[in-house]
Amino acid sequence: MASEDEEFTMLFQDFYPSLCRFLECLLGGRAPLAQDLAQESFLQLHRTAWGTLPVGEARFWLYRVARNMAINEFRKSNTRYRLFDRVVEAMRPRTRNPEQEYETQERQALVLEMLQTLPEDQRAALLLREQEQLSYKEIGQVLNISESKVKVDIFRARASLRERWSKRAKTAGANV
Amino acid sequence: MSCSFTEKISSLIDGELSQTEAREVEQHVLNCSECEQVRADFLSLRSQIASYESSLELTVQNRALKKILAPRRSAGLRWAFATPAVAFATLLIIGAIVGLLFYQSKRASQSQTTAEVQTPAPAPSASVEKNKQAAPEASPEPSRETPSTAPNKNEKETTRPKREPATPIKRPLVREPKPGEQFASVPERVRSADTETMTAMHFETSETLLLAFKNVRLDEPGAAAEVSHERKRAKQLVYQNMMLRREADTAGDVQISSLLESLEPILIDIANLPDQPDAEAIRIIRERVERKNIVALLRVNSTALARALD
Repeated sequence: MASEDEEFTMLFQDFYPSLCRFLECLLGGRAPLAQDLAQESFLQLHRTAWGTLPVGEARFWLYRVARNMAINEFRKSNTRYRLFDRVVEAMRPRTRNPEQEYETQERQALVLEMLQTLPEDQRAALLLREQEQLSYKEIGQVLNISESKVKVDIFRARASLRERWSKRAKTAGANV
Repeated sequence: MSCSFTEKISSLIDGELSQTEAREVEQHVLNCSECEQVRADFLSLRSQIASYESSLELTVQNRALKKILAPRRSAGLRWAFATPAVAFATLLIIGAIVGLLFYQSKRASQSQTTAEVQTPAPAPSASVEKNKQAAPEASPEPSRETPSTAPNKNEKETTRPKREPATPIKRPLVREPKPGEQFASVPERVRSADTETMTAMHFETSETLLLAFKNVRLDEPGAAAEVSHERKRAKQLVYQNMMLRREADTAGDVQISSLLESLEPILIDIANLPDQPDAEAIRIIRERVERKNIVALLRVNSTALARALD
């Protein structure tokens, strides 16, 4: 029992932060909600699937469950919460120097804003690829879709972001 | 992106092409400036997304692990109370059970009193009520009704114990005793009624505070002062909350006690906010208030108490 808990703790330490980050980006920066959902996913794993899943599967299981929870949240949530969370998140005190902090915040806010323009399935596929470095096959397992759909989704997501990014850069250049 | 190779560039940077395909695309990129730009842009996007930093703190992570590894029973209980609907239903069931027990004991005591009233008083130790009924003219009260109406009044009061059990909420009444009413249980009733009134007022004040706290606009100038007002108010309410919770515990009022217990940590958190409000802390408190559905519970309970007191 103790060794099971130790194994679980190791898995938790390895993947809880990245699961939080994945959910935070998926949910448009709602960090506390992302942390709650990540915790709930691990709790479900510990209660139901831990011990029955092959070790390598646990990670995919976690991402699958967490993403389903996030989809439920999309259905429940509304713009008011998202705006409120963004305002609060923007005001969150940090420890770095103010200039660096401001730049990081700006950059992160821009990444979130861009990601939010994508459909949820494309966003999830792209995040799993760019942040978690999962292969197309693994992403297909997590999202329960075929490898070819993963490939198309990731390409479309990149193409769409690239276009938006260049439009934004042009607008910024015109303003300067 | 007019070049037919652009889709393959996406797979290329993901390492999802076979060796032959990869070599072919690499060769193409060397000769196609558009594809070269696409690859550079895709890689730049990758670095932007990959460098996103989560705002997770180590303390939050450790707390989460502790909660997950905690014994199952307590975690289950926490889950039950974390879901507002389940918590509310639980409170209702507990309230109903307590109400039923209270109602039964009250009915038993009332039927006993009625029996005593209907029996002629043989000894001087009879209750004040019995004395009043036996000799209404002898009462010293100045506001007493005329003797002609008094018998009707007495008749009503004799039948009252039979009607009272039909009232859904059996809470002590907060009002001045009318002439000729039963006085045997008055001291205890008045004390309880005061507590009920205070609880109802406390719920209303807390509800107002939480609503105000929820509506503080942090992005506006003077927000710090606004929060400092809520903080001060919360400090006052914390002590009142503790006192009322103890009273409710002593009286065995589980419903009120549970609600006060849920409210207390929120009030303490608001009261302990620093001078310069921490936006993260404020958000956590606000989310907890919403998750526990505490504002609605306060409203429901204060309304129920107020109705019972009317």
